[in-house]
Amino acid sequence: MEILVLFAVLFLLLALGVPVAFALFGAALAVFAVIDIPLIVAVQRMAAGISIFTLMAIPFFIFAGDLMYRAGIADRLVRVADAAFGRVRGGLGLVDVGASMMFGAVSGSAIASASAIGSTMVPLMDEKGYDRDYSVNVTVTAAVVGLLIPPSHNMIIYAAASGIGVSIGDLFLAGIVPGLLTGFMLMVTAWLVARKRNLPTGTFPGWRAFFRALVYAIPGVMTGVIIMGGILSGIFTATESSAIAVIYTVLVGALVYRSLGLKGFFEAAQKSVRTASMVLFIIAAATAFGFALALLEVPAELAALIGLMTDNPILTLLIINVMLLVLGTFMDMAPLIVICTPIFLPVAMATGVDPVHFGIILMLNLGIGLVTPPVGSVLFVGSAVGNIAIPELVRTIWPFYLTLIAALVLVTFWPDLSLALPRAFPA
Amino acid sequence: MQRISTMLINLAALGLIAMTAVIGWQVFGRFVLDSSPSWSEQTALLLMVWYVFFAAAAGVWERFHIRIEILEHRMQAANVRKLRIAIHALIALLSLAIAVYGGMLAWLVHDNVIPSLGLSRSWAYVPLMLAGALMVLFSLGRIHKRWTEKT
Amino acid sequence: SMRLGDNFTACDTHPLDYPTVQAVVRFGEMLTERSGGKFGLSMYAGGQLGNERDTLEITSFGGIDFNRVNLAPLNSIEPLTTVAALPFIFESTQHMRSTLDGPIGEEILASLEQHNLIGLCFYDSGARSFYNTRGPIRTPEDMKGLKLRVPGSDLFVAMVKSLGADAVPMPLDEVYQSLAQGVIDGAENNWPSFEQGRHFEVARFYSLTRHLLAPEVFVMSKQSWDKLSPEEQAIVRQSAKDSVPIMRQLWDAQVARSQEVIMASGVEVNEVDPAAFTDRMKGMWAEFITTPDQRRLVDAILANRQGG
Ligand code: NA
Ligand code: NA
Repeated sequence: MEILVLFAVLFLLLALGVPVAFALFGAALAVFAVIDIPLIVAVQRMAAGISIFTLMAIPFFIFAGDLMYRAGIADRLVRVADAAFGRVRGGLGLVDVGASMMFGAVSGSAIASASAIGSTMVPLMDEKGYDRDYSVNVTVTAAVVGLLIPPSHNMIIYAAASGIGVSIGDLFLAGIVPGLLTGFMLMVTAWLVARKRNLPTGTFPGWRAFFRALVYAIPGVMTGVIIMGGILSGIFTATESSAIAVIYTVLVGALVYRSLGLKGFFEAAQKSVRTASMVLFIIAAATAFGFALALLEVPAELAALIGLMTDNPILTLLIINVMLLVLGTFMDMAPLIVICTPIFLPVAMATGVDPVHFGIILMLNLGIGLVTPPVGSVLFVGSAVGNIAIPELVRTIWPFYLTLIAALVLVTFWPDLSLALPRAFPA
Repeated sequence: MQRISTMLINLAALGLIAMTAVIGWQVFGRFVLDSSPSWSEQTALLLMVWYVFFAAAAGVWERFHIRIEILEHRMQAANVRKLRIAIHALIALLSLAIAVYGGMLAWLVHDNVIPSLGLSRSWAYVPLMLAGALMVLFSLGRIHKRWTEKT
Repeated sequence: SMRLGDNFTACDTHPLDYPTVQAVVRFGEMLTERSGGKFGLSMYAGGQLGNERDTLEITSFGGIDFNRVNLAPLNSIEPLTTVAALPFIFESTQHMRSTLDGPIGEEILASLEQHNLIGLCFYDSGARSFYNTRGPIRTPEDMKGLKLRVPGSDLFVAMVKSLGADAVPMPLDEVYQSLAQGVIDGAENNWPSFEQGRHFEVARFYSLTRHLLAPEVFVMSKQSWDKLSPEEQAIVRQSAKDSVPIMRQLWDAQVARSQEVIMASGVEVNEVDPAAFTDRMKGMWAEFITTPDQRRLVDAILANRQGG
């Protein structure tokens, strides 16, 4: 009965068009009133929900990503990818995916990746005569790859939400192969779609130009090396690495590329707090909502429900994946990690699934949620960057959705894809 | 309203920059100076709560909070206007709860301290009270704007 | 006043099979039995309702009925609790148990009522000792230059600094990784936490400084308490009291189990002479013991020592 109130109020407020954060908070308030919990607790949970050290990775990586764009790092990564893939039919689509993978490897945020690469690639593709829906489709789906390729603030949040000390180092290593695979699959799709639409072909600029672009990109690419190296050598923790990424980017932008001034720096901070507060405010409200979920024992009941349906690990993962995909369509990634990890991880582990493997499944699955309407922050960024309405955008996105889902199936049912690297390099 | 909103974003941006500096200093202190600052973690957390809620309040005015717009797309313009007024009325109501309970929280814990800072725990809840009040103001401002616009 | 199917709510940050959680579950069974089935208790273990500081606040607001917390979050609320959290104040588990079971313990529990919490009883938290990745700690000199993780508490920071090491405040869930990668050299905790957080896999030296024997505290929300009749309050108090020996038995068994796992893994364990460590605590005791009531309690605890 109380569970019914919780979800009825949530869906009603969401359907009306109340912002997601307020809808979650409103649903929590309604349930607290029904089960006689002081309403003050809901507000306390909101504050507590974002007083968590690991969550700092969200604003930091978003900030770093925006600074990388303004410092010209995104632009230089695009040039490398262009020199490598530009000559293929629809080559800029492949360039887009390749640049997103590289940017994903230096920034920890898919939102930052979509906005940085999108801002660079979409005008370029316009110029060369690409369809706008195509360029934005490629950009947003390729941004999902950045969730898998380390660093990734969402992996840090998952490790914290697991409550069992899942190793962030292992998660980072585990994401590499699935990330490369997903990126490769998206490239194939981008190429096939480009052929079908008869999109333009570029020319190969020659090895000289390729290496030149590579050299210019090195200070930017070093961000990723410094982040991974700093974490693995014990100089800083994964959470701290996000702040280091900001500081390093500022140094590169101001001193090496000399493209980042005080004005650009502050504008990046202004833009980043908007994005970060949007995400963290939802997490705050989701924490109040999560308290109601926990009190009503929804996680346990859901787990029991799945247990009733099957104890087969493959079927369990299938059921969990379908549930997450549905949830991901109307909620954003970070709050879903916070809410769903304590629910689904124990169920998955009970059937013998490795928590690191499950983390990678979760990243890719909820990453798909970032590019599906009605609520998908990366999709929103793509729509804003490309100045194209979401219905128009998603009309032609299905080959890319199918690709991501195919990658999810591979990642789900082939654990070694994720686990081989962390096994080869134990902490 | 716009001026208040812009000021909040600027303050929040300064908060984010300050947080970067604090964590940078934490790494530097531990790794280079062999002396970890004991205040950095709590300071950074406190900064984050303040700037997130300030920027989130500005978001009510700037309307950057994520929401689902399916219903609006299927409505006529006149009804969309009514719906938006209703949405902002709901936001005002929920924000009022944040403001009132945030204030009560700050009051109830004023004797408790934040470890390693020696500050009152109230400082962790005052931003909710302020942001809640600002959200009420901004949502009323939005309602006013819709109300007075020509249909 | 009962919610969720006429049940009280209780929470704990430890997992369901942990001794404190099991003791509270047993407490709930006694409550049901002695109230003739009127009261039930739902346990929310594993931190599902939040961390200790936050759930403690919620308990004081009346949002959770029962809570088991460490002494550390209470230090930020009530100064009297600090005396039992002083490093090296208890010379042994026996000393700690006999002190807290008596009038000193009663006084500390009673001091919580002004903060809207009813202190019901103390549970054991064992002895906390240092573990690290570098080598055995025998004297405070061995700690020089070590980066040791502490919980975000002034008392812990001051203690580790007094011993000459670098105190690194860090959330518990980052410790394993930080030990493995060398961000920190060590941390400190009791046998069960050293084992269950798997920290012993990376920190291979455990030095039995036993610097802290601070207890766990079982509290009730004053709002929920005030709704009970005097007879019902008596049942709650008696059941809590009766859960203490059960908890201690579970605790001792858990310590033995954890010790076995850790020893079997080949961790090097060493005893220390506490005198050299205790000598360095004088300054920090003075820093944290500032009120006459605190001093009186400290003197009473010291007088309660076996050696006198
Ligand atoms: Na990444
Ligand atoms: Na979505």
